[in-house]
Amino acid sequence: MPRKSLLISPELCIGCRGCQTACKEWNQLEGTKTVNQGSLDNPPDLIPDLYNRIRYVEVPSGANPVRWLFVNQRCMHCGDAGCMKICPAPGALYRTNEGAVVFSKEKCIGCRLCVTACPFNVPRYDKDNKISKCHLCFDRISEGLTPACAKTCPTGAIRYGEREDLLGLAKKAGYEKVYGEADLQGLGAIYAFKDAPKLYGMDERPAVPESVVFWHTVLKPLAYWGLGGAVAASLLHYVAFGPKKYEEEVKKDG
Amino acid sequence: MGNQMVKKANAFEILNHWVLAVSFFILAVSGFGFLFHLEIMNSLFGSFNQMSVVHNYAGIVFAVSLVLTIFNYLPVSLNLDSDDMQWILRGGGYFSRGADVPVQDKLNAGQKIFYLFLLLTGTAIAASGLVIWLAPGVRRWILISHFIHNISFDLMLMVIILHIYLATLANPGTFRIMVYGTVPVEWAKKRHAKWVQKTGGE
Repeated sequence: MPRKSLLISPELCIGCRGCQTACKEWNQLEGTKTVNQGSLDNPPDLIPDLYNRIRYVEVPSGANPVRWLFVNQRCMHCGDAGCMKICPAPGALYRTNEGAVVFSKEKCIGCRLCVTACPFNVPRYDKDNKISKCHLCFDRISEGLTPACAKTCPTGAIRYGEREDLLGLAKKAGYEKVYGEADLQGLGAIYAFKDAPKLYGMDERPAVPESVVFWHTVLKPLAYWGLGGAVAASLLHYVAFGPKKYEEEVKKDG
Repeated sequence: MGNQMVKKANAFEILNHWVLAVSFFILAVSGFGFLFHLEIMNSLFGSFNQMSVVHNYAGIVFAVSLVLTIFNYLPVSLNLDSDDMQWILRGGGYFSRGADVPVQDKLNAGQKIFYLFLLLTGTAIAASGLVIWLAPGVRRWILISHFIHNISFDLMLMVIILHIYLATLANPGTFRIMVYGTVPVEWAKKRHAKWVQKTGGE
């Protein structure tokens, strides 16, 4: 099945937060009491009961007193997902045919390693200490429906479809560089940014922490090669040199 | 002559050795389960959730047991002298039949180095494990600890395998020390002459 994605276009976003609401409705997530922070960001960060949210970024601008950027924040469904790499519990994080990175609360053991390996600081833990994050409405898309956020978005700022089509769409609209096109083997949420990603509060080069990559590619194989190697070396020594017998040693000394 | 025994390990030392060994075995098996997503662990431990609990508390047992080994082995292990250097240079006599090695203390140079290595990697693995357990989600700390935990596991695993080989197949008559605590005095004179001398051959 061709990989599915979200195309997020901050230029089209009007900051209505319909995506936040629709997501909560479909996923039956509780409302949260928040405090006025002097900003439209609400809640101020991703929380267990909020899978996606709009960040309101104010940046300096020559023409206008304020330039306002609306950026949707969520799980990016990385092609090379750090969370899936580091997770020690089989089935707690898995990938669907559409390419979504999905979690199972039953399988999650609450170790929070995924939090530290995520390049985008996305996973949150609920009151039962189980992972909570956007799962691209895997229960909708597996039936051919659109994720709740994209379905409700009134301006097309969040669009869902085949990844290749969405990339073509963004290129045709004049975005030469699409954020997340190639990083981490391609993100499952790609962004049509007019300016440098940094301006939108995104990492220029998102990456899985180097120590996690080294662990995955070197230390993990070393565990079974080391085990096998040590056993093999022992057996080889036994065959080549044999055991030390103290009786012989005593005899030799006479 | 021949049947006279000398005591090399006391009951506490032997008991603690097996507490350490069993906890290590449980930790290593469950650790492999986490590393390679071995679903068979579900039938051994009930679930990965329960396995993580067992892994954590077995880690506590391992750490305490490791600390208790210090009294028995650390002083003698730190006392590396020129005979030990010679022993190491001659590969402990393990790489030629009937090679001569310098006289050794209660622990030979290889055992001393093994113990120091175990204490080092064991401390690293216990400390980093504790951080992973008690500071979940603290990015900096966890990434460093996760790395240390895994690198020391790899090193320890290889060395433990060699330890098991050297203490059983490679040296017939050694294993009984960790069961009965005694060895024939003739054996001790050959293997640990310095120690026998110090304790008066008893």
